[in-house]
Amino acid sequence: MSLFFFYFFAAILIAACLSVVLARHPLYNVLSLVVAIFALSCLFVLLEAYFVGMVLLLVYAGAVLVFFLFVVMCLNLNALPLMQPAQKQLQWFGALGGLMFAGTFLLAMKSFLAARAMGPSSIRGTIEAVGKILFTNYLLPFELTSLLLLVAVFGIVSLAQGALSTGKER
Amino acid sequence: MLSGIVFAIGLVGVTTSRHVIKVLLSLELLLAASNLSFVAFSKFNGDYAGQLIVFFVILVAAAEVAIGLAIIVLMYRQLSTIQADALKEMKW
Repeated sequence: MSLFFFYFFAAILIAACLSVVLARHPLYNVLSLVVAIFALSCLFVLLEAYFVGMVLLLVYAGAVLVFFLFVVMCLNLNALPLMQPAQKQLQWFGALGGLMFAGTFLLAMKSFLAARAMGPSSIRGTIEAVGKILFTNYLLPFELTSLLLLVAVFGIVSLAQGALSTGKER
Repeated sequence: MLSGIVFAIGLVGVTTSRHVIKVLLSLELLLAASNLSFVAFSKFNGDYAGQLIVFFVILVAAAEVAIGLAIIVLMYRQLSTIQADALKEMKW
């Protein structure tokens, strides 16, 4: 049963990812990323990482992607031609991406076999378990992320102020 | 293996697309792939650290997306396009 669900959500995830990269209209890119994040969150729940799955759903599908959608609609972008004549450099990057594809695929295959040899353990990522370790062993990184978010807020405010001072409202 | 496939799709998207928003979305795919890998190995190793790292990655990704989109909005105001090719010069 759970294997069936795994393959089901994995298929949705891959289809949505392909749609993110291949779809023409930016709106469809963003919406298919919502679907991808939802499938990913379902996979997390299948892996019994409940807390992280919920955080992913709330933060990504709830906040980040709405932000994306807002910007796409605000800028009023229309569909851009996907296949323009590529530059020489860009073709090289494409080839590099293909090579990395092969490399990551081989590595993933190897790690998949290793993981299969190990077999799943019986940890459950409930809020209690994750929170306990977050506030004991990983307290310092946790506080540092709050600093990071503060710096991000400052950065955005200063960017927006730059836009205001050039005489254009945001 | 699934995370490898997602990572590869995201990588191709980052390197080949000309559209800045699409580059940012593909970057999200890369982070999502690494998140999936972290959670899977946390499950298989019986260690909670992987899930905590995913938590931090989500936070960092949120900050990165906010800054990136702010830069895109500014770029649109300055250049009235968001093709990556339009960024030929780094002078303001």
